[in-house]
Amino acid sequence: MRPTLCKTSIFSVPPGSAPVFVPVRLVPILWAGVLSAAALLCGCDAPVEHYPPNRVYSLVVSAKLDAPTELAAEDTTAALEAWFGTPIEPRWPADQMSRDAAKSLVRLENLQRAAGPVYSDQDNRHFGLFNEHCVTCHGVSGGGNGPASLLQNPYPRDFRPGVYKWKSTQRGAKPTRQDLMTILRHGAPGTAMPSFQRLSDEDLEALVDYVIYLSVRGEFERRLLTEAVVELGYEESRPDDDASLLTLANFDQDAFAMEVARDTLDRITGQWVDAPQDVIAVPEETPDDADSIARGNELFHGPIANCVGCHGKQGGGEIVTFDFDDWTKEFTEGIAVTPTDREAVRPFRKAGALRPRQIRPRKLTDGVYRGGGDPETLYRRIVAGIAGTPMAGRSVSDQPSDKELTSDQVWDIVHYVRSLDEAKP
Amino acid sequence: MSENEFSETNHSLAAERSPLLHRLAVLSVCLVWPLIWVGGLVTTYDAGMAVPDWPGTYGYNLFLYPLSTWLYGPFDLFIEHGHRLLGAVVGFVAIAMVIAAIRREDRRPVVWLTVGILVAVISQGALGGVRVLLSDRTTAMIHGCFGPVVFALCCIAASVTSRRWWDRKLTAKRAAQGAESVKPLGRWVVALASVPVLLSYLQLVLGAQLRHVQPLTTPGTFTLIVAVHIVTAFGLWLLTPVLFVLVRRCGDLTLSRPAGWLIWFVGCQILLGTGTWIVTYGWPSVLEFLPFGEGFLVRSKGFVDSIIVTAHVAVGSLILATAAVILVQVLRQRTLATPV
Repeated sequence: MRPTLCKTSIFSVPPGSAPVFVPVRLVPILWAGVLSAAALLCGCDAPVEHYPPNRVYSLVVSAKLDAPTELAAEDTTAALEAWFGTPIEPRWPADQMSRDAAKSLVRLENLQRAAGPVYSDQDNRHFGLFNEHCVTCHGVSGGGNGPASLLQNPYPRDFRPGVYKWKSTQRGAKPTRQDLMTILRHGAPGTAMPSFQRLSDEDLEALVDYVIYLSVRGEFERRLLTEAVVELGYEESRPDDDASLLTLANFDQDAFAMEVARDTLDRITGQWVDAPQDVIAVPEETPDDADSIARGNELFHGPIANCVGCHGKQGGGEIVTFDFDDWTKEFTEGIAVTPTDREAVRPFRKAGALRPRQIRPRKLTDGVYRGGGDPETLYRRIVAGIAGTPMAGRSVSDQPSDKELTSDQVWDIVHYVRSLDEAKP
Repeated sequence: MSENEFSETNHSLAAERSPLLHRLAVLSVCLVWPLIWVGGLVTTYDAGMAVPDWPGTYGYNLFLYPLSTWLYGPFDLFIEHGHRLLGAVVGFVAIAMVIAAIRREDRRPVVWLTVGILVAVISQGALGGVRVLLSDRTTAMIHGCFGPVVFALCCIAASVTSRRWWDRKLTAKRAAQGAESVKPLGRWVVALASVPVLLSYLQLVLGAQLRHVQPLTTPGTFTLIVAVHIVTAFGLWLLTPVLFVLVRRCGDLTLSRPAGWLIWFVGCQILLGTGTWIVTYGWPSVLEFLPFGEGFLVRSKGFVDSIIVTAHVAVGSLILATAAVILVQVLRQRTLATPV
C-alpha cells in the first residue's frame, strides 16, 4: 500500500492538516534581498587603470605654501602617467635619466611581472605579484593606505616619501636592494608585514623592483608638485608653456619644466643608486660578557645615550610619550595642525590620510625587534636610529666623550639590550 | 493501532522511499564540502588563474589533462585543476540524483529540489568559468558565495530523503491517533530558525568581500565590513543557544542535535575567524593583552596558515547548511505536529 502523500510539499502534510507555514514562501524573497545586498556591496571589478594621485600631499603643499595646488596636482598626475605608466602597464623613464646606473636600477620586465592582474603559468611563474601580496595593505600606488591599512598597527609603509625604517644605511639614505630583500624574506614580527620566505628569488626580485619603482614614482610626484608651485610658478592658472608640466607628457625636451623634472628624477634615483655607499660600517663586535652588559646598562640609563628617556627603565617601555611618526607629522605637526584635532585633520582624512596614531617606544624585554635582532642590525639601529620615527641616531666618535658614543660603547648597549630579552634562555 | 501494525507501516514506508536517492544526496554532500575546501584553497593560494582557459585545461579536455603534469606540476595548477575535476564529479552525481528522483521519488518538490541542485551545480561551474575567462574578482566572489548555497541544497536533499524524515512522519501519525503527544513549534520559532540562515549567508557574503577585496576599496569601507562581520558573528552565536532551547522543547533529537551542533560550529568559526585575521594581518591590537601574541610573524602562503583560512571558509558553509537543515526540520516538525 502506498502511503498517502501530499505531492505539493516535501513536508508530507497528513490529510486534513493545516497548510505549511507561510514563511516558506517568504524565503525566496529574503534570499533575493540578501543577494541584492551582496550585489550592491560587491561593486564592480574594473581594472585599476590609473595610480591614485597623492591628494594628501597636495593639501600639505597647499597649506605649507599657502597656494592653490589643484592645477599643479592635475598636471603632475598627467606627467607622471606619461613617464611612469599605469598599474596595468608600468614604465621606467630611463630616457629621462642621466646616470646609467639609474637607468638599470629596476628591470622593466620585473615591473610588468609585479603589476597587473594575478595569474600564474604552467612553469609556476607568478604575475601580478604586487596585487597578489601587497596591494591590500600598501595600496595601488604604495601609499600605505590599502583597504586593510586602517586596522593595522603600525600602519603599512607609505613608499612615496622614500623613507624606510628597516635598512642598513644612514638615517637619511635609501635602503639597499638587499635591505628590501631582507624585509621581504623575514617580514616584520609583531606587525602585519609577512615573511615571503616561500616566494622564489625571482618573485622577490620583481617585488623589490616594483617597490623601488613605486617609491621613485611617489617621491617624484611629491617633489614635482612642490617644484610646480615653487619653481615653475603654478597657481590658479598654468605658467608659460615652457614651464608647464604638460611638456613632460609631450616629452618636449627643451622645455624648462623638463629640465626641472629631469633634475628631480636624477636626484631621487641617484639616492637609490648610491645607497650601497651609505651602508653603515659595523666594527668588529666586542666580547659579549657581563662587563659589557654592565657598561651597556649604565649607558642605556645614562645621559649620553639616554635610551631610558623613551624605552623606560630596563627597556620596559612603560614611559608615556606623545609623539607621532613622520608620515603622520607631515599633515599635522608639520603644518601646525594638532594631530588630535579631528576638525583640522578631517580634510586630510577625506583626501586619504589615515587617522593619526601615536607612536610608542618599543618594549625591549620581549625580544621582538621588528627590523631584525641580530647584533649587527642592532648596532646600526643605535647609530642611525629609525628613519621616520622619533628614534634618534647617535653619532659615533673614536674617543669617549660626554656627547658621543664610541663604537665599543655602542656594542655595550647592543649587548645590554639583547640581555633584556626575558624569553632568552 | 498496535505496535506491530506501526512496524509494518514503517517497513512499508521505508521500502517506498528511495535509498538510492538518499545515498546519492549524501554522496553529493560528501563531495561538495571537500569541493568547498579545495575552492577555498584555490582562493587562499591565489590560484584561480593558474589555468587560463576554460572548460579545458591548457588546451586539453578537462579529463584528458596529463596526470603527471597535474600531480607533479605547480601546486597552484594542482589545486585549480583538481577543483575543476571534483566539480565535474559533483555534476555527474547531481545528474544521477535527478534521474533517481524522477524514477523513484513520489514527492514532486523533492524532484524539483534535485533539478534545482543540478542547475545550481551547472551555474556554479559556469560562474567559475566566467571568473577564469574574464579574470574577474567580482565573479570569483559570486562563485565563492554561491558554492555554500549548493552545499546547503545538497544537505537539504540528504535530509528530506533520509530514513529519519520518514520515521518522523510515522511518529506524527501515531501521535495524531492519540498514541503520544507531539508539541508543535510556534510560528515565531520558524521565524527564529530563519534568522541563522540569513545571518550565516550574510556572513559568507561579508567574508567574501574581505577575501576578494578590491584594491581601491577605501580603508573605511573595509573596516566597516570587518566590524559588521564581527558583530554579526557574535549575534549569530548568541542566537544559536536560544534556538537550541526552543527546538529542544519539541523532544525531537533530529532537530535538537543539529541545533546543538550549530552552537559549536559558530563558536569554532569565531575562533577560526580570529585565526584567519591573525595569520593574514598579524596579531590584532584588541588581543594585545595576551602575552604570546607579541612578535607574531605572519608567513605568506604558509601551509598551516592557509588551512586555517580555508577552514574558516568551509565551516562558514557548514554553518549555512546546518542552519538551512534546521529550518527545514522545524517546518517539517511544525507540519507534522499540526492536529488532524
